[in-house]
Amino acid sequence: MSPAAPATADDRTREKPRVLLVDDDEVTLMLTAIALRERGFQVVECESGKRALEILAETTPDIVVLDALMPEPDGFTTCRLLRAMPGFENVPVLMLTGLDDDASITRAYEAGATDFFVKSSQWSLLDGRLRYLLRASRTRLELERSKAKLARAQDLARMGSFDWRGQGRLVLSGEALRVFGYPPAESTGLRALLRMVPAEDRRLLVRMLRDATKRGSVFTTDVPINLWDGGERVIHVEAEPEFNEQGQAIGYTGILQDVTDRRVAEDKIRHLANFDALTGLPNRRQLIWRAERALDHAKRMQHQCALLLIDLDRFKVINDTLGHHSGDELLMEVARRLRGCVRHSDQVLDGAYELGGLRSHRSLEAVGRLGGDEFVALLPEVADEHDADRVAQRILEVTREPIFVGGQECFVTASVGVAMFPRDGGTVADLMRNSDVAMYSVKGTGRNAAAIYGPQLAGRGREKLELETALHKAIERNELVLHYQPKIDVRNARLIGVEALMRWQRGGRLVAPGEFIPLAEETGLIVPLSEWAMGEAARQARTWQQSFGFAESIAVNLPSRLFERSNLIDHIHHCVTTQGVPHRVIMLEITEDNLMKDLQNVIPALHRLNEIGVEIAIDDFGTGYSSLSYLTTLPISELKIDRSFVRDLGVSPQSSAVVTAIIALARSLGLRVIAEGVETLRQMEVLHRLGVVVMQGFLFSRPVAPGDLESWLDQSVRSRAAPWIGQATELEAAAEHPRAVSGRV
Amino acid sequence: MIRLPGPRRPRSAAAPASGGAPGAAAAPPAAVLDPRAIERLHELDPTGSQGVVERVLRAYQNALARQIDEIDAARGADDSERLSRLAHTLKSSSASVGAVRLSQLCAGVERALRTQPPAALGAEVEALIHEARQVAAAVRAILVV
Repeated sequence: MSPAAPATADDRTREKPRVLLVDDDEVTLMLTAIALRERGFQVVECESGKRALEILAETTPDIVVLDALMPEPDGFTTCRLLRAMPGFENVPVLMLTGLDDDASITRAYEAGATDFFVKSSQWSLLDGRLRYLLRASRTRLELERSKAKLARAQDLARMGSFDWRGQGRLVLSGEALRVFGYPPAESTGLRALLRMVPAEDRRLLVRMLRDATKRGSVFTTDVPINLWDGGERVIHVEAEPEFNEQGQAIGYTGILQDVTDRRVAEDKIRHLANFDALTGLPNRRQLIWRAERALDHAKRMQHQCALLLIDLDRFKVINDTLGHHSGDELLMEVARRLRGCVRHSDQVLDGAYELGGLRSHRSLEAVGRLGGDEFVALLPEVADEHDADRVAQRILEVTREPIFVGGQECFVTASVGVAMFPRDGGTVADLMRNSDVAMYSVKGTGRNAAAIYGPQLAGRGREKLELETALHKAIERNELVLHYQPKIDVRNARLIGVEALMRWQRGGRLVAPGEFIPLAEETGLIVPLSEWAMGEAARQARTWQQSFGFAESIAVNLPSRLFERSNLIDHIHHCVTTQGVPHRVIMLEITEDNLMKDLQNVIPALHRLNEIGVEIAIDDFGTGYSSLSYLTTLPISELKIDRSFVRDLGVSPQSSAVVTAIIALARSLGLRVIAEGVETLRQMEVLHRLGVVVMQGFLFSRPVAPGDLESWLDQSVRSRAAPWIGQATELEAAAEHPRAVSGRV
Repeated sequence: MIRLPGPRRPRSAAAPASGGAPGAAAAPPAAVLDPRAIERLHELDPTGSQGVVERVLRAYQNALARQIDEIDAARGADDSERLSRLAHTLKSSSASVGAVRLSQLCAGVERALRTQPPAALGAEVEALIHEARQVAAAVRAILVV
């Protein structure tokens, strides 16, 4: 006999198993104990069931070996009592019985024994049996733990499993029942579960189930359900068929998972990807997607679509004046109004659209936000362009209504460009571009209107685009130059400054400002152009200073948007200091129109400019707003009478009245007055008589190239050879001019 | 001394020092005690350091003396249940020490008691008691009390 039964590594490494040995026969008890100890067990001997229960109350052995036949309590009773003790439900109990005692074997199992063993002096058999039971017990324990873990994991994942044997024999795990909101032990059937699915989805699901079972294929789907408590859930179902040995499908086994949260997150992501966060409108991506679907449909059904591009006029002003928060509020309100202009559909569209019917393209109709203050209205089916125009007019109407944001009423207008499919473009990109062209044509003609695209716009657009491209390169190619027109004090024929005027030498031709400045303003190129002009003016001032002692100012025209730039002061400072000329060398001219448009933004800049010695002139004065009261609050130095009044002097009496009024106003405010566009001696004479002594115009000089200024000075002023000089001197000598305005009064 | 057949004659601690009196045990122990069973006991304690054989045999001896009296008493009282339990216990402990015949007699009585009263088993019980006394003598001889 081998000294020890074969033991697994696991058995050996483990601590010695503890055995409680119960036998009333002391000889057997002693022998068995000795034999087991020799085989690596720790044995507690005990000669009665009563004593065994006492021991168990204090310690827990790994296994209990009970002699079946003992004085009461015998092995069976002891086993039963033991099982009733908490913590001993699963301890392995081996019942020792006689060889010829079938009844005892049955009774042993009934009493809760794990196994029975016929007494034998073959100790290795007992050893082997005990170790087997211990292993089984350990495996069982691990299984229990693993099952508990699985249940916990499934619970956390809101997951459960099921078996389906067809004909309603559906068995759900406790966890699966919980997914459906049932208590763990409830029994339910497929029919009851299907009733939780909304009718429409249910029909689809039943069809899918039939298909899958007929073909014996794997079944995977997400099913929406309504719980009894009214909650809505999405259940993910994954099932695979089970087959018997003959290869026949006998049912399905699978898992269920509550994926509601995931679905909600997915929906949210889809929404974020397709809708504008601020206004909740479809975003560019979603719009393009919808437009493509609409075009497909229109092609198939041979009807027209319309794309309306809506751009708010001067939104930036509102944004900058009232702050971004108010700007956002305004956009939200505009978005809300625009929605009302179409049959706006909010559905997140992707694959679902394909399921729709003939009229489903109607659900594509929407207003979306492309970004900033740009919106698009997509009309998937229109009879003609008048249909589209009606919507455009409605849009203009609703945007014109005052909007209350940031504590005040705002007036917003919009420019709308319309492109029609298929007439104005066969693709979404074409329609977008052409509606853009149409929209810009509105901007160019005064805003607050709608225009329908036409080929004539496209031509202009192309020309403009070319010009724009060329203008972009003009600065880097040094194609821009400044020409200078002298400002003359006619009393003493003295040059008191020049106005810088931009010219573009484009391919051997000198392009006039009127041809490219509006485009530069529209595209924003005016900003780099003006910045260049300031630098160039400062440079020129230094050159002239060195060549002939020029110490006057150079006036540079500045669009109002440059005043909004926070770095304007820095830029001027940089320009003059790098040239080593004083700040007052640069003078800025801003048109009355521009000034009024952006008054709130411009005023702070004007003050700062004044502080550093840069003077401001108001250009084209008299043509803009009739209310002049604002002038009293502005830190300006000079008013330039618009050339239109000068032209009409001596022709229409109103002109001299205007000029007189301007002079009176300037005097009361302590401003210089200068007349532009003086072309004749007659005009000069009248202006002089009215009290204007500083003038600018062809009479004195055209704008000249920088290198020509000195020779002009030599030829006409210093030599006093120009015809106007004689006359001016005469006038000056002949008349007393108490009203003359020269410099600050 | 403990008489043992087989190759190994351990220097058993249980072996009485009085050895060398083979004739003292007139009854042949082999007849009542199976030497192979004693051998198995030795195998439980190969070095003899635990005195297993002596401990077991002494325990058996004590129990046997008591059980013979109890069986006698139970027979007199016609107590079937008690007699049955005694026979059962003696059956397994006797088998353990190699008292094969006694174990068999016990098994016979135990089995017979399921269907018959003790009174009907006079001869069998008598044989059992007789054999038990033989075994007791043999054990006593081994242990050389």
